[in-house]
Amino acid sequence: MPSKYMIHTKTVTNRFQPVSKSGIIAWEEGCLKCAVCVKKRCVYNVYDKRGIDSRHMIESIDNLCMNCYRCVQNCPKELIHKSLNPEFNAMGDSHWSPPIIVRLWNQSQTGKIPVSGAGYPGPFSGPGFDSMWTDMSEIVRPTRDGIHGREYISTAVDMGKTPEHLMFNGSDTLEGEVPSIIDIPLPIILKMPSFGTISPNTIKGWAMGARRLGTLIALPMEKIDSALEDMGGCLMPLVLPRGTSIGNIPKNAKIIEIPWTEEWQGVVEDIKGYIPNLFVSVRIPMAEGMEEKALSLARGGISIIHLEGSSMSRFMDDNTRNLKDGIRLVHMKLVEENIRDGVTLLASGGLAMAEHVAKAIICGADTVFVDFPILIALECRMCRRCTKGLSCPVEIDTASPGWVASRVVNLIGAWHNQLIEVMGAMGIRDARRLRGEVGRAMFFEDMDRAAFESMGQVEEGCELE
Amino acid sequence: MTSEQKRTLALYYCQNVPASGERERQDLEEKYGRGIRLFTVPCSGRLEPIHLLLALEEFADVVFIITCPEGVCRYSEGNKRAKKRVEKTRAIIASIGLEVERIGMIIGSKENPISLADHARAAMERTLKLPPSPVHN
Ligand code: SF4
Ligand code: SF4
Repeated sequence: MPSKYMIHTKTVTNRFQPVSKSGIIAWEEGCLKCAVCVKKRCVYNVYDKRGIDSRHMIESIDNLCMNCYRCVQNCPKELIHKSLNPEFNAMGDSHWSPPIIVRLWNQSQTGKIPVSGAGYPGPFSGPGFDSMWTDMSEIVRPTRDGIHGREYISTAVDMGKTPEHLMFNGSDTLEGEVPSIIDIPLPIILKMPSFGTISPNTIKGWAMGARRLGTLIALPMEKIDSALEDMGGCLMPLVLPRGTSIGNIPKNAKIIEIPWTEEWQGVVEDIKGYIPNLFVSVRIPMAEGMEEKALSLARGGISIIHLEGSSMSRFMDDNTRNLKDGIRLVHMKLVEENIRDGVTLLASGGLAMAEHVAKAIICGADTVFVDFPILIALECRMCRRCTKGLSCPVEIDTASPGWVASRVVNLIGAWHNQLIEVMGAMGIRDARRLRGEVGRAMFFEDMDRAAFESMGQVEEGCELE
Repeated sequence: MTSEQKRTLALYYCQNVPASGERERQDLEEKYGRGIRLFTVPCSGRLEPIHLLLALEEFADVVFIITCPEGVCRYSEGNKRAKKRVEKTRAIIASIGLEVERIGMIIGSKENPISLADHARAAMERTLKLPPSPVHN
């Protein structure tokens, strides 16, 4: 059995004070000057360590406070209040919500799985939800040392065409050649996000992170400079169909990606003529006609297809349809046409939490791309100021490559551990086996139909009496 | 560089000021560039002299606080407390020889609600009447 793939994480401090969800408002006026002020009784000594980050006027008190409300409740004049922080609510959008951003920051800082309180009081479906739950029926006991400590669960995946069968000749040697594949230790490829205050140092840091993780980083060809020369093996250049000179593809690159065009065959031929053993992934938008495009690529011999959804985890042409449904459609089309094992399906678009990796794979992806989380790992607030030419509040472009790499390794380390926990809870020991395993998930629409369909339908515009 | 950009205004504003969301804030930064630094607060009463002094010390020529109208503070008297703190801070800067106008305050009106952008314009006009702060020279 090969040795276990472990991602070694260690705490990497923030460069800026994080934006806290709530803040303390303490009035001075009317203070009774008690012999022992409630502020002195804070068990976390929050009030003793006050500091203000003058760049953003963020109070250290707000970040250190553990929300026990002791001081709020015990001040006899009720001079201490807690309030929601408007800066917190202003971060991100409906998909990249403030709680998701903060969870990504914490994972990138500590490399640890986020832990939240017991119980979940919120809704399970509706706008903003993927309405999909993974089956955790194999959980038999709480994990003490983390499931990775005692079980062998492989997260490795292959990219490329796997042979349907092997042929041996009379002397028991293999006949013909086994097609080569790219094998990565976890089903995650990093991808440069479409916006951000990104400098050559940021890109170098991401590439160093990808190398430490043993995976790849997808980035536009024009972003590959001499600083990345020795990292060709972990790069996945995104090449324009005819725009970029093929001669610029790093010599040691194993894989490149091109966008879908009707003339994809000619483009692939040109590239293969230059570097014959190069893997070529073709990117198709998650939109009308994607199944047919995927099918034509698979039939035409393309072994890696990238299905790209929007950064909000929706279809590119319909923001009411969820990424998971797009992956299922293409996966099932390839299954129906008996061609699924000849293709590696990569999926991207708004994957924001570790569980999204497992869910995308259950829906039929082999591997996923992670883009904005690797920017948020660098303290990005998803404010999109950079898209307007405004200054970045966390000066991402000034971060050193070493810091960037360690934050990304922490984040992916935490996601990897969560993937293993989820797989263990599902009774799946190999990420390759998880692909398309919808029996390990429940979908709200299916359950809703099963439970209520027999009761009839409510016509649109009619009111229930 | 326009004349507006030669001074830096630190503008603290209560989250209840009309049209003061993240988009409006970014629009203002696009308009005034580095000449404005915006800080939204849950309640103007949260501000203490230290916040105003720190801004003057680190980067600002002028500091302004925009509060919600009197009588509508969600924390009942945050805006009244902010007023006292402004007075206290003005006394501190006067004692070191700075003009008291370097700390300004605008109290919103219940009858005639004014947007953050309009408040910012008014505050910027008053900022430009003052010379650059000697603290940074
Ligand atoms: S709420 Fe609790 S943790 Fe926070 S400052 Fe008050 S006593 Fe300390
Ligand atoms: S923090 Fe804002 S400005 Fe900086 S990279 Fe992120 S979205 Fe862009």
